[in-house]
Amino acid sequence: MLRTKQRTAVVVFLLPPLGLYLLAVVGPILYSLVLSLFEWDGLSDMRFVGLDNYRQMLFSDDIFWTATGHGLVYLAVSLFFQLVVALMLANLLTYISRGRELVKTVYLLPAIVSTVAIALMFRRIYSLEPLGLVNAALGAVGLDVLQRPFLSDLDTVLVAVSAPEGWRFAGLYMLILYAALIAVPKELEEAARLDGASEWRVFTQIRFPYIRPVFLTTAIMAATYSLRGFDIPYLLTNGGPGHASELLTTYMYKTAFTNTDFGYASTLSVFIVLQCIVAVALILGVRRTGRDAS
Amino acid sequence: MKHTRWALAAAMALALSACNGAGAGGETDPSKVTGEIEPREVSWLLSRPADGAVIATIEEIAADYAEEHPGFSLNLITTPDRPSYLQKFETLATANKLPDFFDTDATPFADKLRQRGDMVDVEALLESLDMLDDYRPLALDYQRFDDGGLFMLPFEFEAEFFWYNTKLFEKAGVEVPATLDDLVDVCGPLRDAGVVPIALDGQDQWPLERYLSYYPFRLAGPDYVKELKKGEASITEEPGRAAAEWIYELGQAGCFPEGFSSTGYTDARDLFTTGKAAIYQIGTWELPTLAGPLPPETEGAVDYFTLPTVDGAVTDDNDYTVVSGIGTALSSRTFDPLVKDFVTYVLQEYPERYAAQGRFSPTTNVETTKPEGASPLYDKVVAELDNLGDETAMPWDTQLDPTSNTRLQQELTLLAQGEITAEEFLTIVDETIKENAE
Repeated sequence: MLRTKQRTAVVVFLLPPLGLYLLAVVGPILYSLVLSLFEWDGLSDMRFVGLDNYRQMLFSDDIFWTATGHGLVYLAVSLFFQLVVALMLANLLTYISRGRELVKTVYLLPAIVSTVAIALMFRRIYSLEPLGLVNAALGAVGLDVLQRPFLSDLDTVLVAVSAPEGWRFAGLYMLILYAALIAVPKELEEAARLDGASEWRVFTQIRFPYIRPVFLTTAIMAATYSLRGFDIPYLLTNGGPGHASELLTTYMYKTAFTNTDFGYASTLSVFIVLQCIVAVALILGVRRTGRDAS
Repeated sequence: MKHTRWALAAAMALALSACNGAGAGGETDPSKVTGEIEPREVSWLLSRPADGAVIATIEEIAADYAEEHPGFSLNLITTPDRPSYLQKFETLATANKLPDFFDTDATPFADKLRQRGDMVDVEALLESLDMLDDYRPLALDYQRFDDGGLFMLPFEFEAEFFWYNTKLFEKAGVEVPATLDDLVDVCGPLRDAGVVPIALDGQDQWPLERYLSYYPFRLAGPDYVKELKKGEASITEEPGRAAAEWIYELGQAGCFPEGFSSTGYTDARDLFTTGKAAIYQIGTWELPTLAGPLPPETEGAVDYFTLPTVDGAVTDDNDYTVVSGIGTALSSRTFDPLVKDFVTYVLQEYPERYAAQGRFSPTTNVETTKPEGASPLYDKVVAELDNLGDETAMPWDTQLDPTSNTRLQQELTLLAQGEITAEEFLTIVDETIKENAE
């Protein structure tokens, strides 16, 4: 138990961040909630429309549902890089000793490069006319049939705008997972190896169960970040061509600042907030069932 | 949570500002503003290149003005990236926090601001200063709202041409297209010669939208788009249909680069200046680049042709897209004797100083100085600008309501890529315009 004096000190230190959080996070969310019940172009008087915006969003806006579906693909691609690839790399990293620091730094590098630079770089990497890196590589190995303008082709654009986001933070999550992996007690692994376990079994039956809590926390971070992904898709294609790479975030942005329909844009933002809450709840649910099982 | 939070914060700012209410604007009649000049800091929110000639000229003029008026300073806040600029501009407008000067096109949003009484009547101002006749009519027309109201000042004057590479045309054995349909026909031979026919900045979407405006402008004149945006004309009628079919044909003929939808402004320009593309549609604001030193592939090979015509055209060959750039409005809320005096000084000084930098003034009272080392192309363009007709093909993106415009731009890319047919394009756009027309 803390003494009264200490408790006061804790409260004093906690209040400012809490106030800031209420002002900068909870406040705007509540305001959006209010704004989503109005029709407003920013200049004319606000007109109360009740749940009309929600009705329009859920029942008569085909772009909304398309964008929601795209969001799930975007999430899947990002998570593939940020969880699966990152975990694989982190695991491999534990087997090398020379140059490990260099590898870590190189993989972490994209996380600190500015988003605009990443977008410009990928625009060139995906380009066909003039020939970009991916298409040049495909041509060099004789896979000319696969060459295409990845950001203009309706079948490839969504994955193409999702991959940079995943690639960008894969190194960061790799580091977190690597830190968890080196904390796995060596005795457990050695005992398993003495009993003749393969490296794969060491990974699936000892290492992964051991780092599971860290992995799930990483999953929450990666999932919430990806659900709100905006910058790279916005800079690369702005949701195009057509709506082929439209995400809820880019759609919301355009509704607000291009169409100046702030009420409906707020409705969309309320949905994004709900989506994030649901995703976190789902992952926490998985964590709880895992804990109960063990 | 960065972006959501940011967007939500913006939403909150907007909500807060709503509580202030729309409120009445200030004094829109400049003649009623009189009194003593009290120097202070004046702000100008603008969307022009930071190293461009307009800003350089304005800064120079402001420095001179400040010498005579101690305490005066001009704070230029520039956001050249247009979408970011519009976001800033709209947020400030909704919060009633627009600065003394702000840049805007004659868009429906700007029209709402004017109707709210937020802008000073620029026509009245120019008239009171006896300067109205100095301006090129086309430069002023570009800034006018539909009812003829003039509330934005032009600071540029540029015509849009089709620049082409004579060496590549020769190599492919093609002639300068006389009609819009001829433009489609030159693409095949150019492709066969291993050249990208037309460089296109698809990322920004307005360049492709220009192409859509050409057929209607030739077939039905400048009023078509004005009727279209009000729902008085339909895009499914002949002018619109011809335009959509033409865009589809351009796409099918391989006129645009593969993957043009993600090509940016400078990438498209580089495609042309490095001799990889044969044609490039852009305004004379790129003249310093195109008439200046170029790579060996394009050195001495750049020429231009103006908007080709069509059979049964109602507009003349010398009528095409002529723009006077984004305009500058004066906020009526802060329009005081100082701002009035300063803007008068700017208007007096600007044309000559701007023209001295080799740029085209929106007025006719000065002559443009040819920059040192500029190619003969420069003189040709100067002569062309003195020979303009009196109609201009207004860019559609400044005309249509924003929702229809966004949808149209998105579908237009798909049309040029051949993902949808002209019929599908027309149906979608027609429905969207009907829903959103004023």
